[in-house]
Amino acid sequence: MPFSDLREYISKLEKMGELVRVKKEVDWNLEAGAIARRCNEIEAPIPYFEKIKGYSKEFTVLGDIINTLKRLSIAMEQPTDLPYAEMYRNLMQVYLSGIEHPIKPRVVKTGPCKENIMKGNDVNLYKFPSLMLHDGDGGRYIGTAHTVITKDFDSGWVNWGCYRQMIHNRNHLGGYVAPPRDMAIMLRKYEERNKPMEFAIAMGTDPVVFAVGISPVPYKINEVDVIGGIRKEPVDVIKCETVDLMVPATSEIVIEGHVLPGVRVDEGPFGEYTGYRASPRAPRLVYKVDCITHRNSPILTAVCEGAPVDSGHVANSIARAATIRTDLVNAGIPVVDVHVVIRSSGFLTVVSTKTPYSNIAHRIASVVWGSRAAQSGSHKVMVVNDDIDPFNIDEVVHAFATKCHPVRGHHAVPNAAGHPLVPYQNLEERLWAKNSLMLYDCTWPIDWPVEIAIPPKASFNSIYPKELQDKVLANWKNYGFRE
Amino acid sequence: MAAEYDTFVNTLDELKQGEEIELKVRDTATFETRIVKAIISSTKSKLPDGDVLWIRFSRGLLHKEPWAIKIIADLGDGISS
Repeated sequence: MPFSDLREYISKLEKMGELVRVKKEVDWNLEAGAIARRCNEIEAPIPYFEKIKGYSKEFTVLGDIINTLKRLSIAMEQPTDLPYAEMYRNLMQVYLSGIEHPIKPRVVKTGPCKENIMKGNDVNLYKFPSLMLHDGDGGRYIGTAHTVITKDFDSGWVNWGCYRQMIHNRNHLGGYVAPPRDMAIMLRKYEERNKPMEFAIAMGTDPVVFAVGISPVPYKINEVDVIGGIRKEPVDVIKCETVDLMVPATSEIVIEGHVLPGVRVDEGPFGEYTGYRASPRAPRLVYKVDCITHRNSPILTAVCEGAPVDSGHVANSIARAATIRTDLVNAGIPVVDVHVVIRSSGFLTVVSTKTPYSNIAHRIASVVWGSRAAQSGSHKVMVVNDDIDPFNIDEVVHAFATKCHPVRGHHAVPNAAGHPLVPYQNLEERLWAKNSLMLYDCTWPIDWPVEIAIPPKASFNSIYPKELQDKVLANWKNYGFRE
Repeated sequence: MAAEYDTFVNTLDELKQGEEIELKVRDTATFETRIVKAIISSTKSKLPDGDVLWIRFSRGLLHKEPWAIKIIADLGDGISS
């Protein structure tokens, strides 16, 4: 049975030792963020802050909820005792199964997210203990682990995505949305007509909702159907109070309102998933909040983004690798494995492949960069032969260092589309969302004579006869070694 | 106790001292941004009755020394809705 809400997931995490209840009072101003950040960096249990300074115990904050493969596997009811590569491949398959076998949501008439309702002048975003996550951020970010729901102006497409949101005041939020992202595509249609765009924000949902919201689900496919496909059960949704949108009925908090057309107010900076605060404070879109509903004792979720690893790195890596692998297979590439390296903030994608023809690495890179999965990452593509395991970073580093020619193996692509968060771009490039890409071809050229040009690899698995390898392994303990 | 505000700039040259200017400042207690008419100075003694103004560069880096600010008028939050 999938989790019906965040609270069931919390109980499961606690039973598995993956969550710590922080009973000591912590300050919303940086202290909780610092704890959550350190938890991310050392892969500690998820912090659940039960007493926030200045707030009653009714208002709690849960840290990063799916920031390891194990936790994402728990969220998706998958085995948690697999080796890294197997767990990664399994989660890729689960994600793809949701896309291939979507299940429409089920509309319900009542739900716990309606237990408390604030409208009009009663709306107050400060009712919730939003965190000042990093020193120097532009403000308190209430939206870091949530789902922003908007609908297309001229079709039935409804987008469920995750876009950062900073509190401006009691009833306004500001946010950044990268130009190629679905919500930006939708907003352009409304703004061309000077129309406000309705939104609903669902916070504290079943973790699969959040995981899919940060994934590159195919264009114009409703994420809620994919979530149903992954859960193998429909998501129970309920109509909003003031906008024509549906939200998960068990959400902890729901915020409703309109994105104001053409209005831009300074937002940011914010410590982002790249591990840096690369984009400046700048005029960005504004959400006017008309209504807030929430459960009794609502749980606010917060991801303290930054240097790996956080939830975005994990869930997004899996979905992007699955998407890229599908795109490569559909292009006829004899791909073996795809790994969007989690600790690269998703910037580095390693592809292992057979090499039936010359320069296949260029075709692979072209497919990757043309993929929807590369909208916010995979700027650097490394292609390796099929004897390299892309999930084994030691093997990947060795292949890069020894097989990628300093001149012929590096292929830079300037003038690509990008976004302002890319740290290595200069200020002008970040301002205009320009990017540059790089292919590292770590495959042996196929026109090199095998007998004389390709150096035999001097590793246990490749330079000894198979019979001798078997003998050595069989006698390993007899030689006096433990394992 | 003096109130504390901060403002974001690309360079210190953007901040005109000793004359009335419009400036976006955040109250560091709430992190709400207001547009204010104010006089600012890098030297506290030139605004003895002023509040504290911290300066952050556009990506959040804090300038080491605080400035002083005397707010003359609150012009709103700059959000038209």
